[in-house]
Amino acid sequence: MAMLQDLVDAYKGKIVKPSDALLHKTTHLIQDGMNARAFGEYEKPKALGDARWTDELILSTWYMAETGEVPDKLNFKTGKSDGGFDRLDFQFLPESDWLEHSEAIDTKLPLNRRGDKKNKIEIDIPWYGGGMSYGSVSVNVMMSRAKNAKQWNSFMSTGEGGYPPELYELKENVITQVATGYFGVEEETIQAAPIIEFKYAQGAKPGLGGHLLAAKAGEEVAKLRGSVPFVSLFSPFPFHSTYSVEDHSKHLDWIETVNPKAILSVKVSTPHDVDMVAVGSYYAGAHIIHLDGGYGGTGAAPEIAKKNIAMPIELAIPKVHKFLQKEGVRDKVTIIASGGVRTADDIAKAIALGADGCVLGTTDLVGMGCTRCSNCEGGPSGRGCPWGLTTTDIELQEWVQQDWGAKRLDNLYTAMQWRLRDILRKLGLSNVRELRGRTDLLKYIGKEAGE
Amino acid sequence: MIDPSKIIQARREMTASHPKFERRDEDAAEGGCGVVGLASEIPVAGRHLFDSLEQMRNRGNGKGGGVAMVGLDPEQFGVTASILADSYLYAVAYLDSKVRDAVEETFIHSNFHVDHIHEMPALETWENDLPALDTRPPDVVCYFVRPREDVLDEFISVKLQDTIDPNDREAASEEFVFHTTHSLNVEFYAKDGRTDAFVLSHGRDLLILKIVGYAEDVIRFYCLDDVTAHVWIGHHRYPTRGRVTHPGGAHPFGQGIDCALVHNGDFSNYVSVKDYLAQRGMEPLFFTDTEVGALAFDLHRRVYGYSMEHVIESLAPTSELDYVMLPEDKQEVYSAIQRTHIHGSPDGPWFFIIAQSEGTTHRLIGITDTSMLRPQVFAYQRGEVGIAFCGSEKQVIDAVLDSLASEDKRFWRRADEYWNARGGSYTDGGAFLFDVRPTEDGGKELVMTNKFGEVVDTHPSGGYGAADAAEESPLKLDKMDSELAYFSVLEALPHMEWPEALATLEAIESNALSAGREWVWNLLSRLLDRRYDTGSLRRSRWLDSVEASLIRTISAARHQPCDSFVGQVTLGHHPTPASGTQRIVVDARPYPPEGTDSLALELVALHKAGWKRFVLLHCRGHRFIGNGFGPGTSDVEIDVLGAVGDYLGSGSDGMRITMHGNAQDQVAQIHKAGELVVHGDVGQCYGYGSKGGRLFVLGNAAGRPMINAVGSPKVVINGTALDYLAESFMAGDPLEGGGFVIINGMRFDQRGEMLALETPYPGGNLFSLASGGAIYIRDPHKRLSDSQLNGGAFTEMTDEDWAVVEPMLQRNEEHFGIPLQRLLTVEGELTSPSEVYRKIIPVKSKTLHAEAAWAGHAD
Repeated sequence: MAMLQDLVDAYKGKIVKPSDALLHKTTHLIQDGMNARAFGEYEKPKALGDARWTDELILSTWYMAETGEVPDKLNFKTGKSDGGFDRLDFQFLPESDWLEHSEAIDTKLPLNRRGDKKNKIEIDIPWYGGGMSYGSVSVNVMMSRAKNAKQWNSFMSTGEGGYPPELYELKENVITQVATGYFGVEEETIQAAPIIEFKYAQGAKPGLGGHLLAAKAGEEVAKLRGSVPFVSLFSPFPFHSTYSVEDHSKHLDWIETVNPKAILSVKVSTPHDVDMVAVGSYYAGAHIIHLDGGYGGTGAAPEIAKKNIAMPIELAIPKVHKFLQKEGVRDKVTIIASGGVRTADDIAKAIALGADGCVLGTTDLVGMGCTRCSNCEGGPSGRGCPWGLTTTDIELQEWVQQDWGAKRLDNLYTAMQWRLRDILRKLGLSNVRELRGRTDLLKYIGKEAGE
Repeated sequence: MIDPSKIIQARREMTASHPKFERRDEDAAEGGCGVVGLASEIPVAGRHLFDSLEQMRNRGNGKGGGVAMVGLDPEQFGVTASILADSYLYAVAYLDSKVRDAVEETFIHSNFHVDHIHEMPALETWENDLPALDTRPPDVVCYFVRPREDVLDEFISVKLQDTIDPNDREAASEEFVFHTTHSLNVEFYAKDGRTDAFVLSHGRDLLILKIVGYAEDVIRFYCLDDVTAHVWIGHHRYPTRGRVTHPGGAHPFGQGIDCALVHNGDFSNYVSVKDYLAQRGMEPLFFTDTEVGALAFDLHRRVYGYSMEHVIESLAPTSELDYVMLPEDKQEVYSAIQRTHIHGSPDGPWFFIIAQSEGTTHRLIGITDTSMLRPQVFAYQRGEVGIAFCGSEKQVIDAVLDSLASEDKRFWRRADEYWNARGGSYTDGGAFLFDVRPTEDGGKELVMTNKFGEVVDTHPSGGYGAADAAEESPLKLDKMDSELAYFSVLEALPHMEWPEALATLEAIESNALSAGREWVWNLLSRLLDRRYDTGSLRRSRWLDSVEASLIRTISAARHQPCDSFVGQVTLGHHPTPASGTQRIVVDARPYPPEGTDSLALELVALHKAGWKRFVLLHCRGHRFIGNGFGPGTSDVEIDVLGAVGDYLGSGSDGMRITMHGNAQDQVAQIHKAGELVVHGDVGQCYGYGSKGGRLFVLGNAAGRPMINAVGSPKVVINGTALDYLAESFMAGDPLEGGGFVIINGMRFDQRGEMLALETPYPGGNLFSLASGGAIYIRDPHKRLSDSQLNGGAFTEMTDEDWAVVEPMLQRNEEHFGIPLQRLLTVEGELTSPSEVYRKIIPVKSKTLHAEAAWAGHAD
């Protein structure tokens, strides 16, 4: 244990909860810096962003999170990845045919379409928050997201790291994730949730399971997960109890026994036969099929896996949508897409490709100050994110305060909902559900046109 | 034997002459399955598989069911014994009956002498009587045929280039049948996706039938209730896709000559196996992994002429520690087989059950995959009649025995042995062959061999003869307390014959009137659970009688409740408990095994109605027992009798569950607190992700027990685990309240004596990737080696360790009557714990080294 002792010593006594003065000073510096850049008071930082999450996308997300409005000087719609959502655009109607601003545009999304006796759930916006575990992010981040989910009558998923007790007060808006390591999965947390999400795979790293590095599995995390502090925590890549579709069906039956009202979401990555996986999940009893494409994930997923294993979500959505239509079961199940969905424009495109709605992970983090620096594990110290997001370090996690985080997300969602309605209005649709599968409303932008 | 290269060349030419068939999107992907197989010395009628298959419906989805039968009754097919034995039973499924004339003209009569045609009867009222069927099963015609001599001559001279030994004419005729079937299937099934007709099976004395539906509906639809066979396989398929319009993809597959193969699982290397076969001239037409499995099996067995041992090795290769443990000559052959056939060897989860008709032998084979990813159970019972089984779950075996016993006094409801196999193991190969062979006196004899061809003794001691009870029991138990009565029975039993033994049970039962049911419950449940000497009585049959007495006594509480027991009178009956200790007795049979009306949810409802103590009788694969009670259940107690289903006690938070017999898969998953005691074996993934509590197993755990456990689970397994024990175990420090697993590595002989296993842990992977907790393993002779550890290390067993182990072993003694003293006794000598038990702790992985280096760097 001597070696680990070094790590433990590195924490004990040396790092403390910040004083009010320090907290005040640091959070203001961070927040002022973000705002100044989002409002264009400084030049865009040269190293900010990448092709998918460009500097403008990050800055515009900060802008929306601060103001609740879309910016007029920044591209808040697309990145420069040269493919997928970034090469799709809408076929808007001529301006004369746009719906009036006064017209109510419905963005509600029902999640249970099976017509069974389980929870009838409808969310106000066609997206909810994806799983980020306690351990990978702090309680403050989880609480910020959960508070915002309540505000929007939507959800956020626990990810696989246990169910911090604070979350119980918001349990009506929290999805309990059941993943391969069963961290934090107990009857109590299954019974608390209106939706249970089975995580079979993650698009960012399919076939690799989960891995929380030792440094981030500190004492609080270890306590919640029931592990030894400061040792790496693995989730296996498969459910060892589920090597077959009848095992999967049994798995869903198990949850039904523990929480007969909960609706069931099955999160899978996007292998080449994702359509088979989806239809198998539907017949096994899933209400939501959550397709996680290859572009998601934080900086903690291995580079070799990100973008290289799973199918891009833009290909997976229509494949599954059409297959389920052919099977005649499309209207009995909700398809949720994630893994590279960044903006309201992306959400609208995913829906037009055939999804019912989306799940956001990284967008929420960017809203709370993520710069996409890919330093989620926190570099040499292992303390985690320097902006206080993907960390459980008792000092760093304070840089994100719950009410501030929730407010930022509320603003961001306000702007995103406005933009989604803006798109629908220009397409002549008064209801987001009418957009589903309308690939005719999309167009491919060729290289030249796009430049 | 015919030179395999000639056969393969002929196949290549045949497939080259056919159009290419690619797997289309519409072809159903394979899913999981449920299966039961049996081999019996006497013919068994189809109806006996009925309950078994019905209880296992949840392993299929009604989109593929099938049966295979070997060792048929010639009369039932209107043929003589010699025609049945010598002619190929060429069974054609007509999805479109209009093509029958064309099939007969182009393939049957032109190629074969037809000795007899038997049309399978069909239940014409199926639309009303079989509600689960929505596609009419095909008409099936059985042609008893022999290749025409002139056609066979031509086949030999042209296709096999006339170079075969005249003695190989029989083998050539088999290959001719193989070719004919493939061509027929191409013409009438695969070409242009027409699916009008295909060959179900073409072996001798072997028949396959399959439908789009559940397997028990095969029995109903084709009126097989009274049709008998010595070997049966029933199989539910779970294809992932929704609409399946014809049963071509259902199991069993009969592409091989004289064999029918079913499979539970899913190859991850379908394409590789398909390519391997394509190189050898074979093209699949049904596009499921089972089909290629059947083709590979037949290729190795019949074309290459391998022994069964080598066929099994080619499918389930021996690796890791098991390979090392093999004798050198075997290693040499095995490694040659592996090098040659690895691409034809299925990877991923699979479990094969094969019915084979080998001359006069009727054979059932079960082959376990080397990763043990699919659940499987083997069993046998040998009374006046020997019968053997393999299946997906224990309960499906018990259901067949139950059905047989209800009609035929030669059977009883409990097998002599049940076991799980370890695929590719050096001890038995994880594969078993059950042969029903003719005896000299015209009867049949069941012989079991393992992969290596070694005969396994399936003759347990003790008489099984059902006798009438004697007038009076030699024991006077009525004034004793139940504990004393128990020991008195134990003392007397080895000297009793059946009449006295049964009289003793009767006396115990009737004592309920004066001593109360609780007394009977305490006494009989112990007699049911414990291991002891049953003298001249066959143990399994004695336990069957004990269980019957116990159930009778407790069931009586349904109409005559007492202070201790109240029986549920009807489905959904929720009486009010008279006291906090009163038990409610629930008959499991009317409840479905899962879903909103399940037994598991009925228990939750009874709990909400105030019940704390439950006794479940007659479980038949009922799943999720004890699940859904929610947090804080330390006052709940559940006793389970029968064949329980998966997920027993999963998620318990304080309750105590006692399983009076074997349990199945996923027991104690995410177990949080409380106690779960299994008086038998547990199946796959025991204690997966568990967080705490105390778990006790009398026998063995199958693959992957206690993986990903965290917190503080404390476990005693008195037998062993097959492999992958406590992988990624993370449960803290055992000396500071963390979790651990104690493996005693013991077994019981027929006299109930405890013996150490040859090795306390046979698997090649122990405590892999563990980061917390410990294993304490009884290994006084240091049989375990470092090579079995992957991330663990042996360390000294200290007094502090014994201080946490001892209380668990004391509790173990209370549950199972296994004396702590006995565990510390090595070759007759009482030995100190530190010399008997070895401790295994996690060592730091390389990943951790790197992190620590980083952390140090940061300072």
